[in-house]
Amino acid sequence: MPLRPFLRGLPYMTWFLNTFLPITNDLLVGFRATVKLFSLTLLFSLPLGLLISFGSMSKIKPISWLVRTIVWIIRGTPLMLQLIVIYYGPGLLFNMPLMERFLAALVAFVINYACYFSEIYRGGIESISKGQYEAGQVLGLTKTQTFFKVVLLQVIKRIIPPMSNEIITLVKDTSLARIIAVYEIIWSAERFIKLKGLIWPLFYTGAFYLVFCGVLTLLFGYIEKKMSYFRS
Amino acid sequence: MAILEVKNIVKNFGKTTVLKGIDMKVEKGEVVSIIGSSGSGKTTLLRCISFLEKADGGEIVLNGETIFDANAAKQLTSAETRKRQLKFGFVFQNFNLFPQYTAFENVVLAPKLIAKERPDFKENKDKIYAEIEETAKQLLCRAGLQDKFDNYPCELSGGQQQRVAICRALALNPEIMLFDEPTSALDPEITNEVLKVIKSLADEHMTMIIVTHEMAFAMNVSDRVIFMDDGVIAEEGLPEEVLKNPKSKRLKEFLSNVRM
Repeated sequence: MPLRPFLRGLPYMTWFLNTFLPITNDLLVGFRATVKLFSLTLLFSLPLGLLISFGSMSKIKPISWLVRTIVWIIRGTPLMLQLIVIYYGPGLLFNMPLMERFLAALVAFVINYACYFSEIYRGGIESISKGQYEAGQVLGLTKTQTFFKVVLLQVIKRIIPPMSNEIITLVKDTSLARIIAVYEIIWSAERFIKLKGLIWPLFYTGAFYLVFCGVLTLLFGYIEKKMSYFRS
Repeated sequence: MAILEVKNIVKNFGKTTVLKGIDMKVEKGEVVSIIGSSGSGKTTLLRCISFLEKADGGEIVLNGETIFDANAAKQLTSAETRKRQLKFGFVFQNFNLFPQYTAFENVVLAPKLIAKERPDFKENKDKIYAEIEETAKQLLCRAGLQDKFDNYPCELSGGQQQRVAICRALALNPEIMLFDEPTSALDPEITNEVLKVIKSLADEHMTMIIVTHEMAFAMNVSDRVIFMDDGVIAEEGLPEEVLKNPKSKRLKEFLSNVRM
């Protein structure tokens, strides 16, 4: 190898090895928490949202009224505020010991996202024409069979675009957990400002979010394509 | 004895009385067409018979057994209603096929689910499913859909979809077929392919009640025509009498407004 270009490249090389890689490594630790919060939120809020949507569509008025009020409160207040209330609220109100930070964040995220999902589910379920239910009925299907065998897949197809929107928002919303000091990627990057006077790691986190959302976009595109064999 | 007897059926939607006491009898193997302008209650009557609507008054008797009585002390449970609904095959104006299933799957879906309730299902599952599939194939072939088994509803024309819907209803082996304006959502050109299928059922003496706007078809296929007006049966009789020789002023008006 010619010596000159090698020497010219050397500072970059050492920067890469001594600064960039360790910082990337540190950010990955934070990113792991981000991904964990994201996945666990999805895991619990997707089914919970379906339950809430059944509640808000309930024919028993007090139930639907109560559920709709809860959804209104959750959707009508900032997630950041909900995080603070769930982390500090139980201690201040009932003298309960503080929850673990990550757990508190997870609870807040699950409740918040379940409420948003419930409205998407409700919209999807109510958009299915009455004729589909009636066809199920005259063919002797039970209500449960009609829901699972006939309606559900059509609902899923319809709600994928709004769901993917919401899920991609969740990726970025996880950064709000920082407000109750959950160690996620933004915070892990912010430390370098104080530690080493470096601001670029903060910008660098954007790349992690972009890749994550990019993968999700591809995934949802794939699912949408998979379900394009029928039109309803 | 009549296979179906409808006695004094009354139905209100809010303050509007849509059916004002309908009485009718259908004999086994008979084809009855119901005509009338929109809003006369034809569709509602059909929906009351098939339990899609609950009548507010009256009785429905099938094969001598009262299957619906508005004044009964006890409401029908959903399981009882379901069992009674299976006596009727219902064909909708806008088909209501299940879009995520192929033509063939649409026809076998309900029979397969219902077969699961049979006591001998576990032992004979394969045999039962094979029978259901065989029936579905025969029905679809008879409706001229032999090369459309694997097509999804969105890949079929309206006439083809409606024919699949008819097969789907027939697959459950109903005692009476109810058709709710089966060709109203179709282009005039393709109504014939659907009417031909219905005609072939009539030739096999399937008991049918057909709500229709196709006067020529009603004339051709039915044993009896009922003219409904404003929630009552205004005139009924043989197709030639009712359609060619109307007595009431309302029916004359109606017939002069629809093309034969």
